[in-house]
Amino acid sequence: MTRGVGRAVGLAVAGLVLLVWSFPVLWGLVTSLKTERDVLAYPPSVVFTPTLDNYRSALVGRQSILPNLWASTMVATATTAVTVLLAVPAAYAFARLRMRARKALGLYTLFTQMVPPVGLVIPYFLILNRLGWLDTYGGLILVYLTASLPFAIWLMVSYMEDLPLEMEEAAFLDRASRLRTLWHVILPQVRGGIAVTVIFVFLNAWNEFLFAVVLSGREVRPVTVAMYNFISVEQTLWGPLAAAAMVAMLPVIVLGVAGQRHIVKGLTVGAVKGGGRR
Amino acid sequence: MRGVARKRVVDATSQERRFAALLVAPSLAVLLLTTTAPLLYLVWNSLYRINLSMPFLDGFAGLDNYAAMLGDARFWHSLQLTGIYTVSTVVLQVVIGLALALLVIRIPAGQGLLRIVAILPIVLAPVVVGLFWRTLVLTPQFGILDFAIRSLGLGSHNWLGSPGLALASVILIHTWQWTPFAFLVFLASLASLPPDLYEAARIDRAGPLRQFRYITLPLLRPAIVIVVIMRAMVALSAFAAIYAATGGGPGTATEILNLYAYRTSFTELSFGYGSALAVALLLITLAVSVGLFRIRRVT
Amino acid sequence: MSGPGRVTLRGVVKRHGAVAALKGVNLDIRPGEFFALLGPSGSGKTTTLRIIAGLETVDEGSVHIDGADVTRLPPGDRDVAMVFQSYALYPHMTVFDNIAFPLRMVGTPKAEIAARVAEAAGRLQIGHLVDRRPGQLSGGQQQRTALARAIVRRPTLFLLDEPLSNLDARLRLDTRVEIKTLHQTLGVTTIYVTHDQEEAMTLADRMAVFVDGEIVQVGTPEEVFDRPNSVKVAAFLGNPPMNLVRGMLAGGRLVLEGHAIPMPGAGGNEPREVTVGIRPGDLRLERGGIPATVYLSEVLGEGTILNLRLGESLVKARIPAKRRMATGAPVEIGFDPACLHLFDRTSGLRIATALEKTGA
Repeated sequence: MTRGVGRAVGLAVAGLVLLVWSFPVLWGLVTSLKTERDVLAYPPSVVFTPTLDNYRSALVGRQSILPNLWASTMVATATTAVTVLLAVPAAYAFARLRMRARKALGLYTLFTQMVPPVGLVIPYFLILNRLGWLDTYGGLILVYLTASLPFAIWLMVSYMEDLPLEMEEAAFLDRASRLRTLWHVILPQVRGGIAVTVIFVFLNAWNEFLFAVVLSGREVRPVTVAMYNFISVEQTLWGPLAAAAMVAMLPVIVLGVAGQRHIVKGLTVGAVKGGGRR
Repeated sequence: MRGVARKRVVDATSQERRFAALLVAPSLAVLLLTTTAPLLYLVWNSLYRINLSMPFLDGFAGLDNYAAMLGDARFWHSLQLTGIYTVSTVVLQVVIGLALALLVIRIPAGQGLLRIVAILPIVLAPVVVGLFWRTLVLTPQFGILDFAIRSLGLGSHNWLGSPGLALASVILIHTWQWTPFAFLVFLASLASLPPDLYEAARIDRAGPLRQFRYITLPLLRPAIVIVVIMRAMVALSAFAAIYAATGGGPGTATEILNLYAYRTSFTELSFGYGSALAVALLLITLAVSVGLFRIRRVT
Repeated sequence: MSGPGRVTLRGVVKRHGAVAALKGVNLDIRPGEFFALLGPSGSGKTTTLRIIAGLETVDEGSVHIDGADVTRLPPGDRDVAMVFQSYALYPHMTVFDNIAFPLRMVGTPKAEIAARVAEAAGRLQIGHLVDRRPGQLSGGQQQRTALARAIVRRPTLFLLDEPLSNLDARLRLDTRVEIKTLHQTLGVTTIYVTHDQEEAMTLADRMAVFVDGEIVQVGTPEEVFDRPNSVKVAAFLGNPPMNLVRGMLAGGRLVLEGHAIPMPGAGGNEPREVTVGIRPGDLRLERGGIPATVYLSEVLGEGTILNLRLGESLVKARIPAKRRMATGAPVEIGFDPACLHLFDRTSGLRIATALEKTGA
């Protein structure tokens, strides 16, 4: 019956897609456990004796990416914290309070989301250079905020708009001020939205490359830039590179898989609500 | 009596406004500081000749940079590449993402597994993705994809080293990474369509193809438009993956406008012209998004 | 294209996993009938309708329309039209396009489509709305659009799945009349699912009462109302529902809360436990009747419902007069023994009495 064939085809394609989307992580993992000889073997070998040497190269010694992991963690965490602290109240103001400039502000937020990063990295470089803030945590975090803040505001606004007004009206009748309403009534309801925002902002901050490569130096070098430690003109250290990539990507992979439901919801909320209704 | 009541109402509103302003002010300050001010500076810079490697040439240039841009073959080439890159990746993502979602919507087991796996490409840093594809996948005589294609008898090729293939390869990389986004959005949209619409259609003798054409596609149109808008924005500003995979090369074969502006500024150290290029990209991005939003409002 | 519309179900069983939604349904629906499937939620009536439509498969049994076995036939080939509980209108199409859709799917020429849509819309008085989208219509207007889409096809069968449940009370009554009128004008066999027994009673030529995946009684509304064949059916019909009280039947006498009522020809000499049913409307306030106490009186526009405590049991009586009575007030109630319904306590099935053979 066609139903059975249809299902079989569907499953086969799904299986193929599964392979296609997961193979880089899998192959990277495999490569990171191979000795140099096995790595260079051609045709590529699937059976081999695993070794942790590559991880040792990536984490210990001259090319260790540990300081970079630290830098990424600091920057990403700080960016996320500041973003959420700023975005949540702003989103509440947008979503609920009657402001004359609401539409204009909405458009402005939308506009800032559309600026291509290269348009910002050039002035940033020049400004931070003059201020002496290149290669510092402060400079980097401030810059990262540019990318994350508008998106976070927009995301939180869509979550807050969904909340029925009656709850706040009940709170007002119970004599709660706006601030307390925000804290006691609204925030608990948008916990999911905050979780999604945190995940997205952290992910984007962790994975950021353009700003990182231009604005960082020897002191503060996020892990995305540190990948290039293992690539030089003469040779590419395949094994250690794979190991470094695995370690560098581990946090986001864990975050992604664990927060998978939140991420999907965030993507679809964003898409269903539309990019900026203002 | 009446006077008191009226005063209360006025108080509430202005108090609200003050509170609102207070909530928004910090974010607004940050945004102004980190976006508008730098952008103004960017435009300012684009009116100057600034070359850090040849400082003696620096000076006010007016619109000279922009005039030079219009006559710059490399600029037009990068514009063309940007167009090809953006259109290809967006179309591929939408088509493949939609096809996959349609295929999988009836199979609950496949859906759950695919949703988890679909997250992987999205969460990886684009720079890592680019590096990965460059090293472990596409390197001739080494990479796994190269090996696979060789095994199929199609020979080994210089995927990232020959101009035509390089463009195709970076398009492939970008599509690989971001199709899951389209897939997940479409899957959620399909799942939200009310099933009794399809039952009514079956009773009205509409076969699966017609159900797709008359019901699924029209109802999915808002989601498709949104996905197109979002992916187009990302494609226009794509940087890390291309930088990691080809650096913009070979030569300028994969140098989309984004990369051209970067290279001009940070490799050739010509910040004035680089700023002008960046401004051009900004204007193009704005034009495209305004256009797409107009389309969205119409549908 | 459309036939007379005789529907037959034989031994239809439908399972959901380990649970049987339908446990063996047999049904004979005559051409041109308005046939109601009545029952509480989860009783299997909607499943049966969907099986007739072809939207669900059967695990055992067969379905026949006009003599042809359609059990395996897809819905599109059965020539049935359905009105869903949620109306299932295509939100992105205008009313015109919604109604025209089934005609378009079979390649009807444009001119004919326009004429038939106009006719259907006219019949349902939505002709002035054809350019609107469902989102711009009220509930009642959406419902009419769904009806119009169903009748435009001139099908063999109309299937309606609780079409009135989403309407407010007043609209429900008006639309009920319209549906009945439509049926009388068009004469197409109509199968109507509802949990509202008043709807079934007023609309149907015949009905089937569903309980727990089985049909427990089939008959005209009068038959089912006047002679429910089991406690389940009796309890479901009537507003307020039939009073059910415990009693003992022995040797032609019924003992009810300590009072004896002669019941000739009922039961044997062995005493048996029975459930006695009496409709609120059959109880009267009567001097010399059985004593009871009021615990609540509900005065309606056209009469009163008295909630009474009768010995150990609570019963409701409906009296035509408007009498507000205080809680605790004593009353005496009487009834015609021919109005009693006797059911065996264990099986729940009706027990025949000599009285009803002669009586109403």
